Amino acid sequence: MNAAFKLRARFQASAAKTLKLVGASGQLGYGVPEAAFEAALACRPDMIGADMGSTDIGPTFLGSGAMATSPEQTRKDLARLLAGARAIDAPLIVGSAGSAGAGPHLDATLAMVRDIAAAEGLSFRLTVIRSDIPAATAAEAVRDGRVRSMGVLPEFTAEAAHKAAHLVGQAGTEAFVRALETDPDVIIAGRACDTGIYAAIPEWLGFEPAAATHMAKIVECASLCCVPGGRDSILATLDRAGFELESMNPARAATPMSVAAHSLYEQGDPHQIIEPAGVCMVDTARYAALDDRRTRVEGARWVPAERPTIKLEGAEYLGERAVLLAGSADPRFIDRIKANLEEVADVVRGLVCEPGVAPDYELFFRTYGLDAVFPWPNAPETPPREIFILGECIAPSQERALAVVKSTKQYLLHHGFPGRLSTSGNIAFPFTPPELSAGPAYRFNVYHLMTVDDLAPHFPIEVEDIRA
Amino acid sequence: MRLMDLARVVRSKNAGPLNLTFDIMFETEADYALGLAAPGLKAEAVSALYGVSANRVSVIPYPTALAIKITIPRAEAAGGPRDRDVYGAQQHVPLLGLEL
Repeated sequence: MNAAFKLRARFQASAAKTLKLVGASGQLGYGVPEAAFEAALACRPDMIGADMGSTDIGPTFLGSGAMATSPEQTRKDLARLLAGARAIDAPLIVGSAGSAGAGPHLDATLAMVRDIAAAEGLSFRLTVIRSDIPAATAAEAVRDGRVRSMGVLPEFTAEAAHKAAHLVGQAGTEAFVRALETDPDVIIAGRACDTGIYAAIPEWLGFEPAAATHMAKIVECASLCCVPGGRDSILATLDRAGFELESMNPARAATPMSVAAHSLYEQGDPHQIIEPAGVCMVDTARYAALDDRRTRVEGARWVPAERPTIKLEGAEYLGERAVLLAGSADPRFIDRIKANLEEVADVVRGLVCEPGVAPDYELFFRTYGLDAVFPWPNAPETPPREIFILGECIAPSQERALAVVKSTKQYLLHHGFPGRLSTSGNIAFPFTPPELSAGPAYRFNVYHLMTVDDLAPHFPIEVEDIRA
Repeated sequence: MRLMDLARVVRSKNAGPLNLTFDIMFETEADYALGLAAPGLKAEAVSALYGVSANRVSVIPYPTALAIKITIPRAEAAGGPRDRDVYGAQQHVPLLGLEL
């Protein structure tokens, strides 16, 4: 018997019917605070979980297949969690492997896990959940009218599905429960709902989804629900009526206010948590202090969906990106900066494109000090003393993108504008070269909801026995 | 009084890559009541401030945390070619100076 079935046997034999769950990291790969993780292990939890991904990091990682975190730190974090979980023989569940959870991210994470097992002499059963959605599956759903938009993106089309460099669906609790039936020690999932990581064991053991999902949505961010918020491990103790929260860092307190406020975090509506199989309503939840660092939560409700849904995510390749970094402190240049940039862009177009041929690139500028961060409708009352200009080009090749920003640099430096005094150069470079290749550029072209009859076929599982 | 002088938290972030969400939290019931009554935090005013239509602005009072939640659609998906703020963490700034 492996960790999952041992846990089930122990739970079924116990009179207390409580579960201790540890949220070890809300974003694996940036470092797991050691003291709090050790304190969590000392509590002998029934499971350890970690989330590894998000759409926050933008479309490039989903598109390219690369991880957002450094390989060294990611490996170190995975090794710490694997060693900790195996030492206490508790299931370890990791979701959204490798930042974006598509095939390449999952495979890179699995390669690390196998490598760690060999290096550390660990043996365990690894169950893998795959989250890649074939374009044909999504296209079929479009034909049947089963896909809907969730915001500014246009209605979903079969073409969009095929254009996505990677297309994934968010696996829910259902997929993790299915994985638990294979008696794993470790579950690693591709793109997944962060709640599934923590709600799966409770639901597998017969807990109602309401409290399990509410608990899961809080612990997936580790100690972020505390004052002060932080990345240390958190412990949730779940029973039939609700759950208790305690940060594993004694300097952090889970208070009724801080835990309730966490429902606001990165959520469009603090009253509901939307899941593939239903909605967890937390508007009826009650938060009560157990002491000055621990809070008890009860009262969420679960409303099952009429038909399950899968959130689809896809990123489309746009080209190669190059950037130009430059500053200016010259008041005459800053005063007509928008016109200067437009004039230089026109000059560059004439230099790098054949006459009559439309540009094969996009070139645009963000002017820090003026309106790079927010699209202010009006100019500032007093011009800034300095500005920073970030030029960005997206072109069909790296060479082409660099060629455009290199010409831009030179013509911006020497642009002759009315009233110019600084005739030896308009801009300051922090270093050279000020033109840098920034790799491939992508955009989210899929973020849609697909209705399905059955979730299971979309998230296949694989079982692998790793023997050191 | 400006919102930045009254609220304990004023923040913005993506809620998924297609939406921006704002959390305005208050220290006391009285401050929260002032915030709830402020015309600048109604859907129409937020719509004008951020250039989105008022029927796409949701304003949700969350008394449990003495907070007001506002969610609007992003002008374009996060991380697209001309995006200014991939995480959406700096879009709260126009709210700071709102006169209450």
